[in-house]
Amino acid sequence: MDLQLSVVKGAKVLMVGAGGIGCELLKTLALSGFQDIHIIDMDTIEVSNLNRQFLFRQSHVGQSKSKVARDAVLKFRPHVSIKSYHANVKDPEFNVEFFKQFNVVLNGLDNLDARRHVNRLCLAANVPLVESGTTGFLGQVTVHVKGRTECYECQPKPAPKTYPVCTITSTPSKFVHCIVWAKDLLFAKLFGDKNQENDLNIRSSDGASSSENVVDVFERREGEDIDDYGRRIFDHVFGYNIELALSNEETWKNRNKPKPIYSKDVLSDELAQQNGNVVQDSATDDGLSVSAMSSLGMKNPQDIWSLSENSRIFFESLRLFFMKRGKEIGNLSFDKDDQLAVEFVTAAANIRAASFGIPLHSLFEAKGIAGNIVHAVATTNAIIAGLIVIEAIKVLKNDIKSYRMTYCLEHPTRKMLLMPVEPFEPNESCYVCSETPLLLEINTHRSKLKDFVERIVKAKLGMNLPIIMQGSNLLFEAGDDLDEDMIANYEANLEKVLAELPSPVTSGTMLTVEDLLQEFTCNINIKHREEFDEEKEPDGMLLSGWTQPVSASEKEKEDKSINNGANSSDVTVEAVEDETGVVAVGVKKRRISETSEVAANAAADETNHKQYQVIDDEDDLVVLDGNSDAGNKRKRMQ
Amino acid sequence: MAEPKVKYDRQLRIWGEQGQAALEKSSICLLNSGPTGSETLKNLVLGGIGSITVVDGSKVEEGDLGNNFMVDESSIGQSKAKCVCSFLQELNDAVKAKFIEEYPEELIETNPSFFSQFTLVVATQLVEDSMIKLDRICREANVILIFARSYGLAGFVRISFKEHTVIESKPEHFLDDLRLNNPWPELKSLAEGIELNVQDPVAHKHIPYVIILVKVADEWAKSHGGALPSTREEKREFKELIKARMRGQDEDNYKEAIEASFKVFSPQGISSDLQQIVNDSSAEVDSNSSDFWVLVAALKEFIANEGGGETPLEGSIPDMTSSTEQYVNLQNIYQKKAEADIVAIERRVRSILKKIGRDSNSIPRTTIKSFCKNSRKLKICRFRLIEDEFNSPNLPELQKYLTDEDFSTAVGIYILLRAVDRFAANYNSFPGQYESAMEEDIPRLKSTASGLLNDLGCNGATLAEDLINEMCRFGAAELHAVAALVGGIASQEIIKLITRQFVPMSGTFIFNGIDHKSQLLSL
Repeated sequence: MDLQLSVVKGAKVLMVGAGGIGCELLKTLALSGFQDIHIIDMDTIEVSNLNRQFLFRQSHVGQSKSKVARDAVLKFRPHVSIKSYHANVKDPEFNVEFFKQFNVVLNGLDNLDARRHVNRLCLAANVPLVESGTTGFLGQVTVHVKGRTECYECQPKPAPKTYPVCTITSTPSKFVHCIVWAKDLLFAKLFGDKNQENDLNIRSSDGASSSENVVDVFERREGEDIDDYGRRIFDHVFGYNIELALSNEETWKNRNKPKPIYSKDVLSDELAQQNGNVVQDSATDDGLSVSAMSSLGMKNPQDIWSLSENSRIFFESLRLFFMKRGKEIGNLSFDKDDQLAVEFVTAAANIRAASFGIPLHSLFEAKGIAGNIVHAVATTNAIIAGLIVIEAIKVLKNDIKSYRMTYCLEHPTRKMLLMPVEPFEPNESCYVCSETPLLLEINTHRSKLKDFVERIVKAKLGMNLPIIMQGSNLLFEAGDDLDEDMIANYEANLEKVLAELPSPVTSGTMLTVEDLLQEFTCNINIKHREEFDEEKEPDGMLLSGWTQPVSASEKEKEDKSINNGANSSDVTVEAVEDETGVVAVGVKKRRISETSEVAANAAADETNHKQYQVIDDEDDLVVLDGNSDAGNKRKRMQ
Repeated sequence: MAEPKVKYDRQLRIWGEQGQAALEKSSICLLNSGPTGSETLKNLVLGGIGSITVVDGSKVEEGDLGNNFMVDESSIGQSKAKCVCSFLQELNDAVKAKFIEEYPEELIETNPSFFSQFTLVVATQLVEDSMIKLDRICREANVILIFARSYGLAGFVRISFKEHTVIESKPEHFLDDLRLNNPWPELKSLAEGIELNVQDPVAHKHIPYVIILVKVADEWAKSHGGALPSTREEKREFKELIKARMRGQDEDNYKEAIEASFKVFSPQGISSDLQQIVNDSSAEVDSNSSDFWVLVAALKEFIANEGGGETPLEGSIPDMTSSTEQYVNLQNIYQKKAEADIVAIERRVRSILKKIGRDSNSIPRTTIKSFCKNSRKLKICRFRLIEDEFNSPNLPELQKYLTDEDFSTAVGIYILLRAVDRFAANYNSFPGQYESAMEEDIPRLKSTASGLLNDLGCNGATLAEDLINEMCRFGAAELHAVAALVGGIASQEIIKLITRQFVPMSGTFIFNGIDHKSQLLSL
């Protein structure tokens, strides 16, 4: 116990994230004797945090999480040194040198991107990382020590779901497609950055009329009445665009045709008038508290609105954006805590769903889908924070043999609610901690350097400030301190296809990509490939050796049906049987409790460990068995 | 939008408005407000529990500052119950918080009727003697009781309640209720009206897989004397049969049918778990029966009569490739059958209520509906009196745990947690509580533990020396990290019990912080 106290007292720890886990963690650290705690969080406090982030009160809403958390703990434990940073952990000030000052880093983050970033910095700075995540009653704590255990990226992580563009723009078949359309296309088009690329019209109109004309359609004209503008937008996206899409008969040969909806069909004049009148009464609110629901007198977010109600919300929320929040237009991005934005997106998604014969959903449900909302309760965070501290103390004592990855289950399985697993060895083919080269198949005559930077370097490799080199030739570099010649040079390179770069990139070329902030380098072997499947490989390129599962999104439905049956052993066997020889089992998403039996097996038999991995993007807490080796996966069905 | 809805948004997504309403109606009593107890309550207060009453007779001491976040330097010398209570109140002003400055042990002795006013009592850091007495009181008053204890790196949580029944057990995986191998007449005739060999390729690739499976299952049964595919080989053949009808690789509906074919293989009728519930003697209802058992009695009659051996149909169908028209048709047929089943159950419920002399409308329709939807997933949890477990544990289990490498530490902790209470009764302090006595405490604890094992009938069983030493080193300390974890587990179970959703853990939960293990012992 003495040793424990001295390592704890002398330790300097970095906490990343002051949210659900962070609040619990900061308190538990302070009460476990930690004296020097640094905490980074870029977020401010929201009302929906208050059911679990117990260091925050109603009066703190809008203030910095890291700062309020610090003050709250200091009030009770004035002798602890806590330094708070209201900043993004990806900011350049948090470089490798910064990380090196800590004895251990504790993550309580809510997104994959930041987790990967911190993982790389911890590797570069050689500081142990204790990683955690929760969703609902599920949670996990894992330990990552360079060279000793696997790093956070050694096992596949589910990438955020993506859908083929044409499913979103032309042929939605599920409600989520309508949400993505409403949120990422329509909302972004009307209220977001006008210069952003947006597919809203491209596919649904025929080539010629796309770009220029279309931009005008969405722009509110000089002096145009707001209600007229709303109706014009409505008729354009739900009426005209659908008609246009219908004119392409090929698309509908094997599909059910959507039905165009015009504002005159859903709103009587009277209703439309009334709409405007109601609003004048509730004109006092400002900013985020403006709500179309309250100005229309609708209270229950769990109600499913009719088509006409959705249309009224659509007009009303559009109106309110222009009347009350005009200044923000052009800079808005969707935020799940922005009531008016959620109302607009719900209504637009429902109207589109109605058009395509897809069942409508309530605002509560739509908000959950649109915001990737994670179920969250205080209880799980408390459990997980307790485990993090116990694990952090082991790390500080260098008690390697006792390190555990711990999973918290919803339903006790094999008499266990917490499931400990010994950490795995580093994955020798991990491109992050073992520097194994990746392979990229790409059409070098068609893809531009820009596409490579956006779709691979940033989106897949999670780099923020990349340098791209072929041998010793610099092709591209990001950063603030470049001189103008270089910027112009790189800009020109970005627009070139790979094979026509000053030092051409063709089949067999090896590119080196480096992120200076993360001090992370990786090599990519290029292989030319002519054709890509638009549905399955929407990027037009394929990276392998990287950690993304093949196609998590489209598999989901089938998974559910399979897993539904998993409580009967017969069925479980069936599910595997169906996958015989198919790599997909290795990458399928499974919720932790659905695999809990599997997981328990793993605990019982340590040789099996390699295959299980829980990943949490808060929303996506899943167990992946990361090893696609068909021989291995059998074991879990014993 | 109402503030509480926003504040509780993330948890409403787990237990819904009904669950939240149940929490807001409940009143919780906490015994002892050390870190384990106050952390348990903190999690419940944040979630919007109705009211809390903190019972603790002690004053805040310097040492409390080291492990209890809810007291600070200014609290020293004041009532701990009061300080903890005022901290908790600050977390959520919708909660009614009060405190009683009295030692729980005394309250148990002098005022047993005090406990009957609560929905649930959380008893933390109690020693064995008080646990047993309190358990009897709560059992008598039909109050839910949950024990939680942190002891060094060890933790203990145990629920005690006569009977907890769950309609919304929310299992993570459950087979869809599709009746593919036992279709009712309307589904059968819908399937018969659809031709699998339809010429039109668009129609062919839009036949919902439910229909495909009903038809192929029927075909199979006809050629196999009414039996379903049961062997591996037969199941493979069954899939081949479907595959043979596929016209092209792009027919998603057929792919879905093949993947879902296991749904045909599950046996008809009700599960053995459910069979056990309907056979339970409580299903013979009288005027004292709870609503749950009245519903089970109706279910039992339904299964034996119009249900034809099956439960009421759930009524929903999963997403599948289909033309909208056929999907809607199918949906309607499932819904209609589900509604008819609800009506049948409701009729039986009303008549049973009348028969046992209760108001025939005393169970609302919404409850009956939810019961029908979840009738395949009903759960009953019964907990032994802690006294019975302590005096006559399930001996074969206990012996198994003692020799099973996986369980030996957990059961060791369980035995030692009881042994330290005996120790304390004999020596007036917990083992290792005073550094100076450590040397003599270790052998004393060892012999106390052996004595206990002998009393339980495990003569000659021993515990690992390491564990005994470790237990002494804990010196009865309540470490914050462990308390936070045990409090987290306890509050999570309390939420399950109060919302009547999910299945609370059965048995005695032991946390072993030495190697992060947690296990349930069924003793």
